[in-house]
Amino acid sequence: MKYILKVFSATFMSLILSFSIANASSGVFKVSHDLGFGKDTNLDAITKGRLFQVVIKTQNRLVRPDMNGVPSPSLSTDWSANSDATEWTFNLRKGIYFHDGSAFDAPDVKYSLMRAKDPDIGSPVRKSLNVVEDIEVVDQHTVKMKLSTSFADFPLLLTDYRLRMIPEGSGDTIGQTGVGTGPFMVDKFDPEGTTILKANPEYWEGAPGVAEVHVIAIPDAQARIQALLTGQIDMNRYVPFNQKKIFDSNSKFTTTVIPTGNWRGVVMRTDTAPFDNPKVRKAFRLAVDRQELVDLVMGGAATVSCDTPVMPSDQYRLQMDCPQNISKAKNLLREAGFPNGIELTVYPATLEPTWPTIAEVVQQQVAKAGIKVNIEMVPSKGYWNEVWMKKPVSMTRWNQRPADTILHEAYHSGAKWNESYFKNADFDKNLADARSELDFNKRKKAYQNAQMTLWEQSGTMIPYHVSRLVVTSSKVKNLDAVDHFSIQWHKVKVD
Amino acid sequence: MESNLITEDKQKNKLEKAFEILKTMASKPSGLIGLTIVLFHVVLAIISPYIAPYDYKAISPNTMLLAPSAEHWFGTDSLGRDVFTRTILGGRTALTVTFFGSLIALLWGGLLGIFCGLVGGKIDDVVMRVVDAFLSIPWILAMLLIVSLLGTSTEVLIPALGFFYGKGIVRVARAATHDVIAKDFIVSARARGHSNMSIIWNEIIPNVRDAILVEGAMRWSWMLLGFSSLSFLGFGVSPPTPDWGLMISNARGLMSFAYWSVIAPIVGLSSLIIGINLTADAFAKALGIDRSTKAPV
Repeated sequence: MKYILKVFSATFMSLILSFSIANASSGVFKVSHDLGFGKDTNLDAITKGRLFQVVIKTQNRLVRPDMNGVPSPSLSTDWSANSDATEWTFNLRKGIYFHDGSAFDAPDVKYSLMRAKDPDIGSPVRKSLNVVEDIEVVDQHTVKMKLSTSFADFPLLLTDYRLRMIPEGSGDTIGQTGVGTGPFMVDKFDPEGTTILKANPEYWEGAPGVAEVHVIAIPDAQARIQALLTGQIDMNRYVPFNQKKIFDSNSKFTTTVIPTGNWRGVVMRTDTAPFDNPKVRKAFRLAVDRQELVDLVMGGAATVSCDTPVMPSDQYRLQMDCPQNISKAKNLLREAGFPNGIELTVYPATLEPTWPTIAEVVQQQVAKAGIKVNIEMVPSKGYWNEVWMKKPVSMTRWNQRPADTILHEAYHSGAKWNESYFKNADFDKNLADARSELDFNKRKKAYQNAQMTLWEQSGTMIPYHVSRLVVTSSKVKNLDAVDHFSIQWHKVKVD
Repeated sequence: MESNLITEDKQKNKLEKAFEILKTMASKPSGLIGLTIVLFHVVLAIISPYIAPYDYKAISPNTMLLAPSAEHWFGTDSLGRDVFTRTILGGRTALTVTFFGSLIALLWGGLLGIFCGLVGGKIDDVVMRVVDAFLSIPWILAMLLIVSLLGTSTEVLIPALGFFYGKGIVRVARAATHDVIAKDFIVSARARGHSNMSIIWNEIIPNVRDAILVEGAMRWSWMLLGFSSLSFLGFGVSPPTPDWGLMISNARGLMSFAYWSVIAPIVGLSSLIIGINLTADAFAKALGIDRSTKAPV
């Protein structure tokens, strides 16, 4: 009997031990970032220089998009609205702790969101969050958000990738510490070198699959490809489609194509001549052959867009056709007082690998309408500070956001990241009407009217929404096949 | 009449001497190979606009990354452009930019070096310290700064490359001048009251010219590599201008499956550099200059 007990105990202990080992975080997951914000790179999610490759792994949102983009619980377990959708009550998850040991509760939510509205911080997300007038701490695990208008899609707004929960009062240090409730904790922050994240064993969704994540600064796109090929990094989410063949036939890598709401574009500043004339802007946009761009730049893996930033799968997207129209573009230029065409310079950098190619293809396409495009390459480092929103014409790229957020953030006349300096009262009014409209069809109409205004007037040429080619080392397992901001990073494992 | 005859004789002598040098250069296999390669590239650069089979700018999704064929001898690139067309026109760009750049480098570097070597003293000290200071700055960083501020047009690239590659020539020309100024004919010219300009033009240049020309030829090949490096980094000529460095940069990621788009510009660039180097070496030997001891850069 004693012997049987001993054998049973030994077997049981072995099982426990192997179960623990199997569930312990192990291995290192190495990824890269492009250092696009140069010296301004930081870990404060609401600032311009946020290093999102880190904050999305260290901090949680109240609400996150599920695999289909639908708002789903994260630090908030459930929510409800009053009858006119002007007050929203969120119940918070209990027993959650920040990396610094403090408990997560309602005052942290109020602090995190009200801070994003602080004009002194000037967060790019402030414009879309301005709809929140006040946040009431009902109890330690309940908050009530009072809005300035009805907003039926308010939880969708809270899925924004920057609206992360941080400890109350941590605003002065969060840029360096990155403290949150996420699956990983910042061990060493070195934006120009390697930032090291360690697994948070107490993570509320379970211990992460890897012990460490290394986020390595590699500004050049081709250098990132080489880093992936040589094993310096395990994942590259920006591999150009014309390089897919390199990885397709290699068993050391796994390729995944993910349709996204991410877009690339060419931005004309609407406050700068000759682009202060809407006819010039439309002429440029009409002269572009978007399908050819999709084929040449993306190898066909993108969805043509007619200068709307709203993603193809979004319920509010305006569906329309916009074929290249050279004669109309020429007419518009003539009417705008440029019968001999115009000349402009674009400034691509290799931080986005497709920018130089987009610039070259657009250069050839718009030449037919008498628009001469000069291309001047600029360094990747510091591109967002020194070129974007500074030069009359620049290249841009955006990650996906819900329709309301992207329309507010990139085009509203008061938005910080209104990159084309677009100001249009009708557009602003349509956005305001859409938010306050409780009837879905009317709301959709208002959002689509706003997009039609962009087609007629905007300074941003958006040729397509990209499908992302994600290449990972075959050692990487359990990586969700969705865009960055929906991935559940704690599930990732590296063999 | 007599002076015309003397001039004609001088020209004849010069032509004979040039022919003699060429003959000596071609007498060695390395010199012959170098000369042939350079001549081939120069001829190709001159006739390339007339023999290019396609428009170098013509993009098309229908002809992306086609392998070499009878239609596209060197295949096509990722935008569907003919690689043969872009390669031969790329040579024209490289040769034009670096030839004029080298000329500028020779002119300012050579003249300043000779002047400093002749006048000596504080002017020489100050100028050489400034040259030393510039030599201590990595040229590529300085070039990046210049093109960031002024753009990447050939009007900017040629003088900028000429300036940065002329610094070394200043030192060579100065050293060669020092060898000459102690000679009796310079002392005599000074005693006759000749001006510095007259001495430089009539006495020094004819005696240091060969050393400076050899140095210039070597700098040409270095400048070619430098120019292509800039283009590779995206700071050379602007797209869609066909350029070897730019072509290599654009196609480097495709090397494993579309090797043709990168091999042609690599062969073009490396063969021209090798050709210029062999030619410069043969040139130096034909002039009796030992480069192993005569390059105090």
